[in-house]
Amino acid sequence: MSEQQKMLSDMVDSLFAELGSSAAVIDAWDRIEELGLPSLLVAEVQGGFGGSWDDARVVFRLAGYHALSLPVVEAVIANLIASPHGAEGRGTIASASEGRFADGHFTGVVKGAVASEGASFIVAPSLDGGALVLRTADGLRQARETLSGEARDVWMFDGAPAKHSKVDLFRLGAFARVAQISGALDGALSLSVDYVNERKQFGRPLAKFQAVQQNLATFAGEAAAANCAAVGAAQGLGRGAGGFEVASAKLRANRAAGTGAAIAHQVHGAIGFTNEYCLHRLTRKLWTWRSEFGGDSFWSAYLGKQVLERGADLFWADLTARTD
Amino acid sequence: MPSAKLGLVRAGRNSAIDRSFTLQTFIAHPIPWPDNAAALRAKVRELIAGHPAPADPAYRANSWCVPDPTFSRKLGAAGLIGMIWPKAYGGHERSSLERYVVLEELLAAGAPVGAHWMADRQHGGMLLRYGTEEERQRWIPGMARGEIYSCIGLSEPNAGSDLASVRTTARRRGDRWVIDGQKVWTTGAHFAHVMIALVRSEEGSERGVGLSQFVIPMDAPGVTIKPIIDLTGGHDFNEVFFDSVELPETALVGEEGQGWRQATAELSLERSGPERYLSSTSLLLELIRHVGPNASAEVCSLIGRLTADLWTLRMMSASVAARLAAGQDPALEATIVKDLGNSFEQAMPTLVQAAIDLDMADPAPIARILNHLLQVSPSFSLRGGTSEILKGIIARGLGLR
Ligand SMILES: Cc1cc2nc3c(=O)[nH]c(=O)nc-3n(C[C@H](O)[C@H](O)[C@H](O)COP(=O)(O)OP(=O)(O)OC[C@H]3O[C@@H](n4cnc5c(N)ncnc54)[C@H](O)[C@@H]3O)c2cc1C
Repeated sequence: MSEQQKMLSDMVDSLFAELGSSAAVIDAWDRIEELGLPSLLVAEVQGGFGGSWDDARVVFRLAGYHALSLPVVEAVIANLIASPHGAEGRGTIASASEGRFADGHFTGVVKGAVASEGASFIVAPSLDGGALVLRTADGLRQARETLSGEARDVWMFDGAPAKHSKVDLFRLGAFARVAQISGALDGALSLSVDYVNERKQFGRPLAKFQAVQQNLATFAGEAAAANCAAVGAAQGLGRGAGGFEVASAKLRANRAAGTGAAIAHQVHGAIGFTNEYCLHRLTRKLWTWRSEFGGDSFWSAYLGKQVLERGADLFWADLTARTD
Repeated sequence: MPSAKLGLVRAGRNSAIDRSFTLQTFIAHPIPWPDNAAALRAKVRELIAGHPAPADPAYRANSWCVPDPTFSRKLGAAGLIGMIWPKAYGGHERSSLERYVVLEELLAAGAPVGAHWMADRQHGGMLLRYGTEEERQRWIPGMARGEIYSCIGLSEPNAGSDLASVRTTARRRGDRWVIDGQKVWTTGAHFAHVMIALVRSEEGSERGVGLSQFVIPMDAPGVTIKPIIDLTGGHDFNEVFFDSVELPETALVGEEGQGWRQATAELSLERSGPERYLSSTSLLLELIRHVGPNASAEVCSLIGRLTADLWTLRMMSASVAARLAAGQDPALEATIVKDLGNSFEQAMPTLVQAAIDLDMADPAPIARILNHLLQVSPSFSLRGGTSEILKGIIARGLGLR
């Protein structure tokens, strides 16, 4: 980690720890703006922080680790795509769009808009693999929530002015979720380790039981895999389009999220199943993120098809050429 | 709302995730891939292409256990063994990441590298570090040429996972050491020239105390090698008996009584390489070839998942290599990579078997390779430390033991 990245990481770590999983946009968004976080990926010449993909990974990971309730990750990506188009105010992203875009106008539906109430603009994936930038003032919001209480709104637009971007938002959304999953897994692992060292049964801490140790070792491996996948995805984006890397990373992180969340709950027993204890703040997000911006079936079909088209003889050569 | 009933919730209230000190088990190190990586790969690929393919395609699987002295000599002549050793001992003074590139190329292609693998991976380096000058001169240049092979003398009948209970002894007799006892599961003992053995050099000592390492020439009088045939009918590992085997003083590797420390350091090298996740790669490649571009959705998605796993493991494995290259000791990370890597290479044969229909007696490469891997893959999570033992090490790293 460079000196600059370390500073960014420390700063963001303490802010996210403080804001945690309950801060509301209306009260706390200023704190995020003060640090200039939303323009993390915006070029310096455009007044942004000019951060790298790995800087973004570090920030997104910490948002996952602290189960941050504020849509910082989404704002960072929305600004990267929308700032060249002059968008202002708080932006967020959506995970799908259906409809027609022609002559700079969009008619249709945008789905999965994250915490979009009060946002100024939304960036949604377009059908051609790019993105559309839409003003919320031009649309109609229908509030929707996941079962775990996360706002994923639907928006209707009718002939709304829209800007088109070639940036593959869906891919960036998947990258963001990988980094968040990697952080949330480390967070849940950390909770689990603390818990089993404290909780006693049969006269000793749970940590002393080999079955518990082996489960948590498996969990650590999954968390490690998700973290490395996130690093690899950031490198892939830094080197080029990153399609292969992000696909692989999301697929791997999705699996890690499933295994990790299950073990975290298992070692916590009933307490982890309560609303009061904080584990669910992480695990319920993990379960949501697994589906967003491509679940296992989507990315495995994407990757499998790509690999099969290239054939066996190019498999290893392609893999190594991506890093050499 | 604090409540007596949920007293334990307090542990979670001001909890790990609300603190601004975040746990990170695996530090992913940026990997400075060598500038000449592509050229090195080309060189290795050319060498493999010029070497006759194995008669049975099954031998492209788990290929670091397939000995082929002719191929080893070719690699030696091309400067691809002992790449990081000093030139004075026949090495090539390359960087360890250059070596890593060569290793992953060889393994991914299923090249028969079993003869020299242990010498290149651990024993050459260990002799350079701890061995006496006589022993270095005697063994290392031949190892670098791909002509001298070595084997690992750790396990004994009553010392498997519990390695600290080794009972083979070394006793001083005048200016000689005398070895008595037995090793078992010794891979390659029947073609190796030399063993590095962990033995008890202090009478009455227990556990990790009083152990030392020795270089034992396999043709020394008193050494007897008995084959152990594995479940495939193959002969890879052996029993090795020592009956008053006399060694010169120079055969002691490192310090007397420091064997445990030295041997466990060797284990982290033994555990961290790319062979710990690439043993089944030939099956993935053969599957891609077998099903072709119009594969069913099920197989296509399996290939996607295996690819994602392989890509991730490569990142993890190379990251460990990069940290070793930077002079750090990523023992915990290395253990995680071996455990995950072994699970991956072990799971692949059953996943592939479930996804395609095959005649198990078909001589086609896909069936031969799959069959072979179904049978040998149980050993992947045993050799080099079982998955349970590895998870125990990881648990210790997490602060659970
Ligand atoms: C193909 C192959 C090649 C090998 N090559 C070599 C070689 O070249 N040189 C060499 O020295 N050795 C070699 N070995 C031996 C290998 O290191 C041992 O098999 C391994 O250390 C396990 O020892 P064991 O077989 O005695 O099993 P055991 O230790 O008896 O274990 C049996 C089972 O019990 C479990 N177990 C044991 N202790 C515990 C515990 N404390 N907690 C939980 N579970 C436990 C194990 O995980 C395992 O599942 C080789 C093994 C194989 C399979």
